[in-house]
Amino acid sequence: MTDRRRNTLILLIVAGLIAASVAVIATKKTRLGLDLKGGVQLVYQAKPTAQSKVDAESLNRAIDIMRKRVDQLGVAQPEIQRSGADEIDVALPDVSDAGQAENEVGKTAQLFFYDWEPNVIGPGGKVATQEPQPQSITGGAQAGGSVFGLPEYEAVLRAAKRPAILRKNDTTLEPGCTPEQKSECIYGSWYLLNTKNKTVLKGPEETQQNLYANNYKVPVGATPKVVRVNPGTVLVQARPVENEKTGKVTNQSPNSWFVLNDNYVLTGADVKNPTQSFDEGGGGTGAPNVTFGFTGHGQSVFQNVTKEIAHRGQEAQLPGVGKEAAQQHFAVVLDGQLITTPSIDYTKYPEGIDASTGSQISGGFTITSAQSLANELQSGALPIKLELISNSQVSATLGKTALNQGLIAGLVGFAVVCLFLLLFYRVLGAIAVGGLIIYGIYFFALIKLIPITMTLPGIAGLILTIGIAADANIVIFERVKEEIRGGRSVISGIATGYKRGFAAIVDANVVTFMTAFILFALATAEVKGFAFTLGIGTLLTLFTAVLATQAALGAMSRSKAVTHPAALGAARRGGGWTFDFMGASKWFFSLSGTILLVGALAIGGRGLNFGIDFKSGTRIQTAFIKPVSESEVAKAMSAAGYGNAEVQKFVNKSIGGTGFQISTKTLKPTGVKDIKAALNTKFGNGPNSPGTKNFSSTSIGPTFGKTVANSAVIAIIASLLVISAYIALRFEWKYAVPVLIALMHDLLITAGVYSLTGREVTTATVAALLTILGYSLYDTIIVFDRVRENVPRMPRAAFSQIVNRSMSEVLTRSLATSFCTLLPVLALLLFGGETLKDFAFALMVGVASGAYSSVFIASPVLTHWKEREGSYRNRRARIIRELGSVPAYATTAAGEKEDVEPQQKRKRSRRGSLMAPEEPGEQISRDEFQELVRDLDVEGRPSSVGVAQKAPPEEPEEIEEQRDPAADLTPEDLVMKDAPKPRDKRKRPRNKRHGRAR
Amino acid sequence: MGLLAWVMMGLAIWHFTIFLPDRFWGGIVGAFIGAITGAIVVGLIIYGVKVSAFQVPGESATDIGVVLYAIPGALIGIAAVYLEGMRRERALVARSSTR
Repeated sequence: MTDRRRNTLILLIVAGLIAASVAVIATKKTRLGLDLKGGVQLVYQAKPTAQSKVDAESLNRAIDIMRKRVDQLGVAQPEIQRSGADEIDVALPDVSDAGQAENEVGKTAQLFFYDWEPNVIGPGGKVATQEPQPQSITGGAQAGGSVFGLPEYEAVLRAAKRPAILRKNDTTLEPGCTPEQKSECIYGSWYLLNTKNKTVLKGPEETQQNLYANNYKVPVGATPKVVRVNPGTVLVQARPVENEKTGKVTNQSPNSWFVLNDNYVLTGADVKNPTQSFDEGGGGTGAPNVTFGFTGHGQSVFQNVTKEIAHRGQEAQLPGVGKEAAQQHFAVVLDGQLITTPSIDYTKYPEGIDASTGSQISGGFTITSAQSLANELQSGALPIKLELISNSQVSATLGKTALNQGLIAGLVGFAVVCLFLLLFYRVLGAIAVGGLIIYGIYFFALIKLIPITMTLPGIAGLILTIGIAADANIVIFERVKEEIRGGRSVISGIATGYKRGFAAIVDANVVTFMTAFILFALATAEVKGFAFTLGIGTLLTLFTAVLATQAALGAMSRSKAVTHPAALGAARRGGGWTFDFMGASKWFFSLSGTILLVGALAIGGRGLNFGIDFKSGTRIQTAFIKPVSESEVAKAMSAAGYGNAEVQKFVNKSIGGTGFQISTKTLKPTGVKDIKAALNTKFGNGPNSPGTKNFSSTSIGPTFGKTVANSAVIAIIASLLVISAYIALRFEWKYAVPVLIALMHDLLITAGVYSLTGREVTTATVAALLTILGYSLYDTIIVFDRVRENVPRMPRAAFSQIVNRSMSEVLTRSLATSFCTLLPVLALLLFGGETLKDFAFALMVGVASGAYSSVFIASPVLTHWKEREGSYRNRRARIIRELGSVPAYATTAAGEKEDVEPQQKRKRSRRGSLMAPEEPGEQISRDEFQELVRDLDVEGRPSSVGVAQKAPPEEPEEIEEQRDPAADLTPEDLVMKDAPKPRDKRKRPRNKRHGRAR
Repeated sequence: MGLLAWVMMGLAIWHFTIFLPDRFWGGIVGAFIGAITGAIVVGLIIYGVKVSAFQVPGESATDIGVVLYAIPGALIGIAAVYLEGMRRERALVARSSTR
């Protein structure tokens, strides 16, 4: 296919995709994350239950059930997804009550039906029916009432005496576990008691280790004792205490417990069609209740059990005593608490209750709680226990403000990048801007099509990819300009520039993509959005910034707009940088060393300001309708029972001016709700009046903080390993080490700057650090790519001269790419709002440090290391012998800078001359080398020093004989790792006497 | 946190090895490994002796004093790599002169 046809085809594809993208943009809705539209986010950690372990299957089942519950709530576009090995992330847009959401979504809702009397355990460890006074144990007519239960401490001790009873469906016994005590086994349930004041400190937990999870500290003065309750025995809490007259619940969670033989007869799975209803039957109270039917199996079991209960009641009937005293009970237990314990009237149901018409659960319900239970039963019980480890709530107004700020930052970033490209690259810049616009259209369409939920970090990723897309163009354009200034025609320059710049772009983008992938795989949900947009954007830039712009330029190559070098900004033949980068490196090393020293001391003196993402706690941000002072808010908090809360005043446009940040220990959503109600009451007219405005909260449990920190460390280590492997493969392993040192330098400098400035370290900072890894590498790869290219072109130069030359060639490019990336980052910092500002700050420090380290740290380290190699040591020794010192640049005898690609080479002879390998880094054959020498016309030129002083002799064998110890490598030796090994090397005749090569 | 500070200190000190002649075993990268390893190991030893336990100082335990524990370690690490480099260099010279 000719170039013209190829370009036309690509442009047609580009145009077609634009049309399709516009159609997608016009028809599909953008899905906004909670931080942009407001809502509640809950993060749960799964824990095993007696019936199920935490694995992919149980997590997926739990997610399905949670989705059903959310659907019942009527939440539009909820997102429920797995996060890590054992976490579930629930995002509920437009929900404002985190407490209610928690109740509805994450409740285990495990429902069990027990035959009451034969399963309650008495003081002797036997079931109540075998004890002397069973009614004092079961509660008799008041079965399950709080009056007859035991304090939890005593109940645990009673339960702990029971032996293990393993049933068929009991899955708690882990492989390898034995009934003998093994702290890591899931076997029964564990409690931590304080024997001093006879209280339960913690429990039930699945393992002994869990009792001390999250750095749990036993209270000072307590006498802890660990107790295990064997499988087959459970503790159930007594029914909520109700006011006898009003029927209202006065104590939802009484300290009254019963020990049960865990021999349930039915579970929630045997129930069908649960509905919230009212107790309106004969003698009904009219109170809300839950009615339901039974499955086939449930019906028969229910009838059999109630029949058995009725018979037992009949047998227990004593003459002259009312039947109420003899009646036996059926208990319904929901999530470890008795809900109801109805008696079975044996006179009315001597053959048990026919369950075909269903049954009901009543007692102590409000309409809401009855509806909630009905919903939970409808969706089914969660197979695993879910512990809420993080919750956050964002008001819709705040979300809207954040979205606006993000969009403004994006637009400004886009505009300044375009301006820079136009000013610096003129016509090429206009094409790059066109490429960026196409990129923007494609990306927006992809966001809607996939769909990607846009979050604030996602917007940050998008803005950053604008810089990356522009960088790809800059790398190529600088190369094009270089080729044109070097004497190529515009058309040839464009073709060669794209060809030679492409490898560097692919390397750099692959590394950025890999970093984004690792980030996506390991980071928390909040950062995933950023990683996803960064990854997709990086791939997309390869298409728009390379293929599309090349096709556009190719199509325009014969038009007047691009045929003059001036139109491309390549009219002036610049002398390039003549700075001795390697010579000055010691001063830059000193600068870096000093910055790191100060950073290390700052970390010792000031530490890092870790946010609640890492430290755990609850942070509430709110403004008030009427002006209030910091001390008034603190007093209100104290009055609400949060005397230890830290109250700080701050000014922020997004919150509507003056706001307050309240920091406390980790609170449940209900706790946050209490605080909001207290503040509304104090500064408004009641708990639900608008005293507060733009109320938002974030609660992070210690488990979540630990997970975030661990995943960050793993992500950084994984990135470093993958990046090193890639560099080693693409370049040479010796190139990977300086890269790692430079990355370490950048990360630690950023950490030092964070410590010095006292900025808060959040999950966004971690994302920024990982992005820095990718970006810093982008820059280093650009530099190393040129070093790799120049190594075979400068076969007699010292390595420092090669690096100096490479630096002088790519420094403009490197500065331009860094500047171009910094522009959108700066826009984020200035216009991105509070959240994105922190992120942008880390990026700004990292990008600046990355650009600096790739030139002044990575390259000098590579130089020092490579110069220890025999060949380069020999070169250096020879140059010193000849000149007394090693000049910064390889020069001719006349003192002129030695060109890597001399002028003469541009004038190709008819037979086609060869000045360098066609592909950088590729080995050239002996014949090609001779041809190269002829083309260079070395003999006819002034003797050059340091590069091409000696003309290679005619016969290679003679080279061998004339070599002195400081001789240079032959071109055959200058093979980069990724070049194929020479196969056509002639075997030298052997000296028969010594058997060695002559 | 202590580990982070020690690595930073080791890296900071390593930067100044550029003023020394490159006789390090493994070159500048050898010096880097020596500085970082020395900073961590000696930091751990000094801190371990102080608190009578082998542990990395956490966030609250890391102060300027703890950060300074890395200095002798980094210097020892660099010196060790330098001396080993010199020894190997001498051995190489001796070997080549005997041939």
